[in-house]
Amino acid sequence: MSTNSIMTIENLQAKIGDKEILKGLNLQLEAGKVHAIMGPNGAGKSTLSKTLVGHYDVTVTGGDIFYKGKSIKEMEAEERALEGIFLSFQHPVEIPGVNNAYFLRSALNAKRKHEGKEELNAAEFLRLMRGHLEMLGMKSDMISRSLNEGFSGGEKKRNEILQMLILEPEVIILDEIDSGLDIDALRAVSEGINKMKDGKRSFLVITHYSRILDYIKPDYIHVLKDGRIIKTAGPELVAQLEEHGYDTIEEE
Amino acid sequence: MKLSTLKNIQFEEMATLLHVKGREQLLEKFCSLGLPDKKSEAYRYFDVEKLFESDYTVTPALPGAIGIGKKVVIIDGVVSTAPKGLRIYYKECESADMEHFDPMYFLGHLLSPVIIKIEVDGDAELEIEHHFTKSNSLVPYRIVLHNQANRHATIYESFIADDIENTLVLYGYDMHVAQDSTLRVVKMHSMPDSRYAMIASHKVNVAKQANALIKSFDLGGGQALQLMKIELDTYAHVDAAHLLYLNKDSKRGTVSQMIHKGEHSTSKQEAKNILDGKARGIFDALIKVEHSAKYSKAEQNSKAILLHKEAYMAAKPQLEIYIDELEASHGATTGQLSEKQLFYLQSRGISYTEARKILVIAFANTLIETVKDTRQQEQIKAAFEEVFYTTHQRG
Ligand SMILES: Nc1ncnc2c1ncn2[C@@H]1O[C@H](COP(=O)(O)OP(=O)(O)OP(=O)(O)O)[C@@H](O)[C@H]1O
Ligand SMILES: [Mg+2]
Repeated sequence: MSTNSIMTIENLQAKIGDKEILKGLNLQLEAGKVHAIMGPNGAGKSTLSKTLVGHYDVTVTGGDIFYKGKSIKEMEAEERALEGIFLSFQHPVEIPGVNNAYFLRSALNAKRKHEGKEELNAAEFLRLMRGHLEMLGMKSDMISRSLNEGFSGGEKKRNEILQMLILEPEVIILDEIDSGLDIDALRAVSEGINKMKDGKRSFLVITHYSRILDYIKPDYIHVLKDGRIIKTAGPELVAQLEEHGYDTIEEE
Repeated sequence: MKLSTLKNIQFEEMATLLHVKGREQLLEKFCSLGLPDKKSEAYRYFDVEKLFESDYTVTPALPGAIGIGKKVVIIDGVVSTAPKGLRIYYKECESADMEHFDPMYFLGHLLSPVIIKIEVDGDAELEIEHHFTKSNSLVPYRIVLHNQANRHATIYESFIADDIENTLVLYGYDMHVAQDSTLRVVKMHSMPDSRYAMIASHKVNVAKQANALIKSFDLGGGQALQLMKIELDTYAHVDAAHLLYLNKDSKRGTVSQMIHKGEHSTSKQEAKNILDGKARGIFDALIKVEHSAKYSKAEQNSKAILLHKEAYMAAKPQLEIYIDELEASHGATTGQLSEKQLFYLQSRGISYTEARKILVIAFANTLIETVKDTRQQEQIKAAFEEVFYTTHQRG
């Protein structure tokens, strides 16, 4: 195990319902690095991200996940979040009737409380929000609306990034944050991600396209196929994948 | 007096037992409908018989002087204070709806030799606070309420009980919503425990082109049923919304008849029910569109969320229609909180309990936010949280 590893996934096996999806997956996330995961549809990328945050769909049947040296396999989702693991969902859920600002502040205050810090009141919170909204090109009415309700695909993704910016997590998993984004949104979202880079945080970026990788410069490319990481290489692998697809990749 | 002694008895004996002189029509009507039991349509989901077994002291409301205060305060059926200038006085009952479906409507009238009459002037905003201070009592009283034509009045109703037990409140309104007016009634009935039970039996007449907005927020435990018969004249509009949030072994809810009499009358009735513990929610609501009510529009909907496997929702939306020229829809659903939504909140560090609270309030919010007054809104939300935290550990 590398001493610089913030998260280590060892021989992870997981199923959804009766279907085995992760079949002995190994991966190390290094502190301060950007890891990209690419792989064919249905390979298990979203399942991996759900497993890392303790989603109820997924049953872990073998292996383990270590975060900062401790197993988190048995940890509740909310605890994982409070400890600094964040997933930007491929399909963020809509929650009518829950005001977005109220939700964001509840999440931030839960985290601050966990860290023994003062909770923020509504005014302090809004002050904090202003800069983030501007950077993400979000109109301020986005946070007075119901959480994700009627948001366009791009707006939902920006709202996910907004949550990341507020919560300042340490392991950031982005599941297809780039799909469905227009050029401006992609740039804004990438800027948000780059802003979070501080040499300590680790990113796991799941994507099908090289476009976002031009902006956020991955350190490693991992290929996930049929429930396992079958190849790890540097950023140069992206071009090869784009040209030849996944079929030519040989398991290492 | 045990109300069960009124079961299956004839006119003469009834008059004697109830100490009623005259009022033959009311007596006859009550005798013919009979004291309700668990087989009665309107009471089939409500444990009414148990309430009739207690031996209550019946305290007739003796009218006294009315002091001046910010609100109308009614203590055990007697008006204690009222705002200056409000036309409020006692009167002998002049008219009851002899076609009302609820036997307890007639019993309430029979046990109330005088009624409280309120005439709301202009665009008033009036608060009515009901207090109950006596244990082991049957508290009957009735209110007749009129508003003014072309005006927009609002009434906020709330209930407070001392540390009492085993009391049955039997009250209700006869409301007359005047032509071209709007009357908005917001009832906030929070019963943290079962100090008293309530049967509230109302009649609402909505005149031509009038709007009646009837919102009820029934929260907590205990046994309470509101029964309402609403009649709509030509171009009248009713917007009724009922929020139930019950816990423990509470049984509460609404039994209603929305009767379209005039052409082009419209009604919308929405019930949202959140049931925890072993609670039972009731929404037994009939829409009736008469021959005379062509081009009417009626909408009715009930949604329930069960927070516990032993909770139960009795939702019975019904349509009774005598014409073709109308639009009507009704539906009822029962479900649980969305696991997906819960997880989304938890994945952001929000605890399971808080996440549930957020979703429960979100479900109710669409109704709570229809209450325009923000202070009233805050009170409803606070009562809501109180109910929530009596059943769920604060996170
Ligand atoms: N809730 C579920 N019930 C049943 N099968 C599921 C469920 N979720 C995922 N699967 C299956 O598990 C497999 C892996 O799905 P997953 O979403 O992890 O793929 P992915 O790599 O993220 O694909 P994509 O690139 O299309 O997003 C697929 O075959 C999918 O159909
Ligand atoms: Mg996926």
